[in-house]
Amino acid sequence: MWTPLALAVVGLSLALAAWAGRRAVRDRPVILRQLLAGAVIEALIVVEVVVAVLTANGSPPADVVTFWGYLVTALVVLPFAAAWAFAERTRWSSVVLVVAALTSAFLQYRLLQVFAG
Amino acid sequence: MSAVPGDTAHGPGRLIVAVYGVLALAATARSGVQIIRDLDRAPTAYLLSGLAAVVYLVATVALARGGVRWRPVAWAAIGTELVGVLSVGALSLAAPQLFADATVWSGFGRGYGYVPLVLPVVGLWWLARTRPREGVPDR
Repeated sequence: MWTPLALAVVGLSLALAAWAGRRAVRDRPVILRQLLAGAVIEALIVVEVVVAVLTANGSPPADVVTFWGYLVTALVVLPFAAAWAFAERTRWSSVVLVVAALTSAFLQYRLLQVFAG
Repeated sequence: MSAVPGDTAHGPGRLIVAVYGVLALAATARSGVQIIRDLDRAPTAYLLSGLAAVVYLVATVALARGGVRWRPVAWAAIGTELVGVLSVGALSLAAPQLFADATVWSGFGRGYGYVPLVLPVVGLWWLARTRPREGVPDR
């Protein structure tokens, strides 16, 4: 359950980073469709949190504190980028979304590592 | 673009503030856990990481606020970072016995993809570029 979820978030985050990167190169700001894609990723991360809470007693991750640190960080990164996208209507919102999406993918990679122990 | 003199938060500044925010978050979370849980294992290293985390938080806020009041704060915080990453980075290689575990600044920020080394240089450049000039209308 955990690994496919995390891998899905990694794949979607990398795709969103590539999409935002293309728009950054073309000097375009973030568009609503990208935020919807980000919302899908965010929903998956919420599912991860639910799964993590439900399975907390069963097979806990090797390092609980670090695990939750990464998970909560993963939860806030994309909404921050979205807030920025509304405030900054230039290509730089796209560059920020690239960084946020790459961070999101990296956090999932670390979560997989921490979960495995 | 914003008309505030000495503005640091808009345009490319968004990216710099965003990367600072991520680094501040990562360093705060990690050093927080280390200080709370294993402080006696490597007190120097973990307290130094905690200090670095605070400096990153201050730099993030100062750059995000910008303007004449926050720019000196940003200069001080980012200058501290550069001195910190260079001196701790050099010390961690020259005298590794001083640190029982890695800090944010060890090996010139190796554990964080050398972002701690590159970021203060970018930050200082950005502050210099956005410096308000008398008589010159802000872009």
